[in-house]
Amino acid sequence: MTRHLVHRTILGLVVLATATTVGCRTRWIDVSPSPTNRDNPVTQSILNDERVPLVMDGFRMTQNGAPQNPSTEVEHRILNTVQETRLFSTLIPLGGNVASLGDKVVTARITFDETIDSHSGKTAWKGFLIGASMFLLSPVIDLDYDYAAEASLELGRWDGQVKRYTARSAGTAHYTVFAASPTLIGELKGQVTEACLTDLMDQLIRDTNFYVASSAPLPDSPVVSVTVKARKPQSSLASPSAVPVSTAPAP
Amino acid sequence: MPFLARILTTLALGSLMTTTALQAAEVSPKISVGTQEVGLNAGYLLPHRLTTDHTTKQEGPAFMPYWMMTLTDPIGDSWYRGQISLGAEMVYIQFQEPILTHGVGFAPKIKYTFVALDRIRPFAEFAGGPFWTDLAGKIPEESSQFNFVLMAGFGVAYFLTHQLALNAGYLFNHISNGGTSYPNLGLNASLPYGGLSFFF
Repeated sequence: MTRHLVHRTILGLVVLATATTVGCRTRWIDVSPSPTNRDNPVTQSILNDERVPLVMDGFRMTQNGAPQNPSTEVEHRILNTVQETRLFSTLIPLGGNVASLGDKVVTARITFDETIDSHSGKTAWKGFLIGASMFLLSPVIDLDYDYAAEASLELGRWDGQVKRYTARSAGTAHYTVFAASPTLIGELKGQVTEACLTDLMDQLIRDTNFYVASSAPLPDSPVVSVTVKARKPQSSLASPSAVPVSTAPAP
Repeated sequence: MPFLARILTTLALGSLMTTTALQAAEVSPKISVGTQEVGLNAGYLLPHRLTTDHTTKQEGPAFMPYWMMTLTDPIGDSWYRGQISLGAEMVYIQFQEPILTHGVGFAPKIKYTFVALDRIRPFAEFAGGPFWTDLAGKIPEESSQFNFVLMAGFGVAYFLTHQLALNAGYLFNHISNGGTSYPNLGLNASLPYGGLSFFF
């Protein structure tokens, strides 16, 4: 009896080792929409002299509906993506010096909402099953982690006209227990953010003519007024919403 | 016992030395999905004879190297906010009483760690798996050398740095053969322990 049990255990461990190393895919990421499957990248031409500076005026972040401290990492990433479009002559981050930019300036307000669902309950049960099977089921039980990002960009032209762009992207990381790592989650967030910002920039580039210097004259009155007010508190705490699971095939 | 005392003293002194090297900055460990933990716990087995048929007073030091993987982000919004991790531990027990014998086992382990207190993290854990010991056959409670070990208990981890934590806890330890041979009364014991863990 004992010998049989030992043999079965050894056999199981061999199967486990083989399956995890050669047989099964241990991790993959689905992102929707996929940034690599764009049908026709949007391109426009603009004269160098026609480009105007972009000044960051506000940046807000939320996670599952709860306000977060703005991440400079995300802010820089968004600004880099805008910079890569070459639509604006200069990009000034929050708090940057705007004294010598001239009169024609586009101001930007960005909102970045993250939705995270690590499927905690389901993962706990799966973990219990994996442990109870002495890890033999680990190659065949996948764990999931969902991440969605929604970026909103509000651009105000020097003449007071405002345009708003919104893009959303979602993704799921599927992994076996031995393939879990913070790097995997970082990759998922990176790919989803990339897809979201790519979509946002496509929308922005379609409006290139709206932001060229000759698109609108300076307003007659040099005195520009702004509305000063405190932000309204949210009426109720947003509950964490479920993230739609992507059905897109793995790349 | 002197051997165990030496091990525990070394662990305690090592921890103190590490603590002195700490910066004054507040330690707030960020444990996320996929964070792994390796550690070593050491304790001493103290017998419980739950019925009059139990006569053996088995006791001795126990060593439990382990590995864990964090499976979830923190769950919940109140005092019970915590994370689930899954892993496995080796269990080695040197039975010094009633006869100098040994036991070794492998036990998958699941742990729920409360994260509301930041660097002080209480946890509840459960582990169970096969266990071999040559004490069986020499005592009236157990007949076969192949057994199972079940351990359940609670403890607390105190983070010295973002990656290093001191552990102390209590486990109820049960050893029996699951009815694969008779007699099978089972051995029960308390296992207070201490140790260190490293997160990466």
